[in-house]
Amino acid sequence: MSFGDFLANNLHQFWILTGFHNATWEHFVMLAVGLFFIWLAIKKDFEPMLLVPIGFGILIGNIPFNTTAGLDVGIYEEGSVLNILYNGVSAGWYPPLIFLGIGAMTDFSALIANPKLMLIGAAAQFGIFGAYMVALLLGFTPDQAGAIAIIGGADGPTAIFLSSKLAPNLMGAIAVSAYSYMALVPVIQPPLMRLFTTKNERLIKMKPARAVSQNEKIIFPILGLLLTCFVVPSGIPLLGMLFFGNLLRECGVCTRLAKTASNALTDIVTILLGMTVGASTQASEFLTAQTIGIFALGFMAFIIASSSGVLFVKIFNLFLPKNKKINPLIGNAGVSAVPMSARISNNLGLEYDPSNYLLMHAMGPNVAGVIGSAVAAGVLLGFLA
Amino acid sequence: MKKIFITALVAAAALFAANDASAQGRRGLRLNEVMVTNDSSVVDDYGRRSAWVELFNSTFAPLEISSVFITDDPSDPKKYPVPLGDVNTRIPKRQHVIFWADGEPTKGTFHMNFTLRPGQDNWIGVYDADGKTLIDEVTVPASLAPNTTYARSEDGTGEWEVRDGSEGSHVTPSSANVIRDTNSKVEMFAERDKNGFGMTVMAMAIVFSALLLLSVCFYIISKIGERYSKGNKAKSQGSKLQELSREDRPDSDSGEAIAAIAMALHEHLDAHDRENTVLTINKVRKAYSPWNSKIYNMRQAPRH
Repeated sequence: MSFGDFLANNLHQFWILTGFHNATWEHFVMLAVGLFFIWLAIKKDFEPMLLVPIGFGILIGNIPFNTTAGLDVGIYEEGSVLNILYNGVSAGWYPPLIFLGIGAMTDFSALIANPKLMLIGAAAQFGIFGAYMVALLLGFTPDQAGAIAIIGGADGPTAIFLSSKLAPNLMGAIAVSAYSYMALVPVIQPPLMRLFTTKNERLIKMKPARAVSQNEKIIFPILGLLLTCFVVPSGIPLLGMLFFGNLLRECGVCTRLAKTASNALTDIVTILLGMTVGASTQASEFLTAQTIGIFALGFMAFIIASSSGVLFVKIFNLFLPKNKKINPLIGNAGVSAVPMSARISNNLGLEYDPSNYLLMHAMGPNVAGVIGSAVAAGVLLGFLA
Repeated sequence: MKKIFITALVAAAALFAANDASAQGRRGLRLNEVMVTNDSSVVDDYGRRSAWVELFNSTFAPLEISSVFITDDPSDPKKYPVPLGDVNTRIPKRQHVIFWADGEPTKGTFHMNFTLRPGQDNWIGVYDADGKTLIDEVTVPASLAPNTTYARSEDGTGEWEVRDGSEGSHVTPSSANVIRDTNSKVEMFAERDKNGFGMTVMAMAIVFSALLLLSVCFYIISKIGERYSKGNKAKSQGSKLQELSREDRPDSDSGEAIAAIAMALHEHLDAHDRENTVLTINKVRKAYSPWNSKIYNMRQAPRH
């Protein structure tokens, strides 16, 4: 072999390993999706904390490479760095850590002050089960349908947790769909809220919530854990961490731990979760007819969830005395996109009455939605796993 | 002294819990299937057929069974100690392991020092490492025919039954007594609840009841808390608690008016709710240390 042949052979081998040689049109579609997510996050400010890691993760996961070369770089290749990071998603331990952070940064006062708002959080879970029924109609198996339907809970970590247990092969699509719709909450929810409410209802002023004592705030996570987990033990990983995080926050003697859980730890896990979820959407796994079905079902689940929260408040108001009516604009917050959906309620309320601040009232159903979707995930896991 | 006592108490509780957890794991070990006469069934590593006893880890965690005792004699519970130091004695969750009752323990960890007696009742027991705690036992009937097994109807649970290798009564050494190739729960939902209505009704009922329960509990707690805090406030102000009647209350309150009233009350009574107040005192001091001293970091000027 001449030196020229030697060089040519090696360069040819190198060419075979490059992305240019292994690229397919599917890779470019996924790269475009990743770039679109990054654009949405940076230019449109749609949930940048989630969409930037996911978008960039999509780019990482869709760099074409020779999968038969044994480079150990792909997210699905056992032992690769990405695969090790992906373990938190596939084994389902990132979502409980995120829930720890959510618990540590959430003030449940609004809910404790007005416990009946918890029922709105329960009503919004209709979105999950409405989508479950439609998913069955479309031919998904019950476990797949359950994993897809949880998108209606509007809770990314819960969706990842449940899909990793019930339908691991659909997890990438479910996670991206859940986070996409969470980012699109400001676009999806307001028209529905206007559609299902009258002008008079939008003007309802709710009484300011009473001040909640520290003792009540401490009792809440303890009692919340015991009551919900006794009913649904399969929700322990999510609910346990959520209430644990909240106890750290409220007990007043673990400030350092609460700060770490709500800041550094949540940030670290969010980065890893977002990036690996994005990277798991490899073109070969992601670009299927099923994915389109999942996105359609997720959209529908979101609409049902938001609508059922609003409609439930309207029905609930029929039984409440005149001075205790609830503004149905906080019904949308029953989905657990915290605090985005509560902000939507507030903004829409202010649009119709500049002195009607609904934020704190909406935070009640909003955090109840977090608990509700975790309970719903526990129920699905209990029935189908 | 009190602190030391509490620390000791917590440590003792942790130790007790750890021991208990380990014991709890061992208690998940089950006798699962037994063959007394083996003429045509599974062979051991030496290519020989002997009686065998299958153990099953019924827990959902790996189980280390070294130092557990297996015996065929109730009066000698420590007859065959499972040897230490063999990695294969760690049974993965929900998995099986076979011990050969060939009376030749020198052939390896899984060869026991006793044999089973065909034509007689064979009692087999598994004892924990203390040699006293009986984990599981079974008496294999004398009538058990050659190449048939006495097995649990389901792994780790269920009634014992004779398995003769016929359809639906398979002999299953080192594998599940009931072989499942699908998720029975999913199958059941797919068959019985095709439109998902049943799931929706059940799940929503559970979600609602969980949150309703929480809601009711907190309604009660908030009422108690409200009364307690009102009482305390009134007590601290030395005044008698008196609520305005509904007629005396203003029809509509603007936010500004409420804020003004609250400020006035605050000024007048200095009575306000507990607030989160964080006082941060940053000690600004440049402590001397050789590590931050410039003279140690800079080259000394040469002397002339």
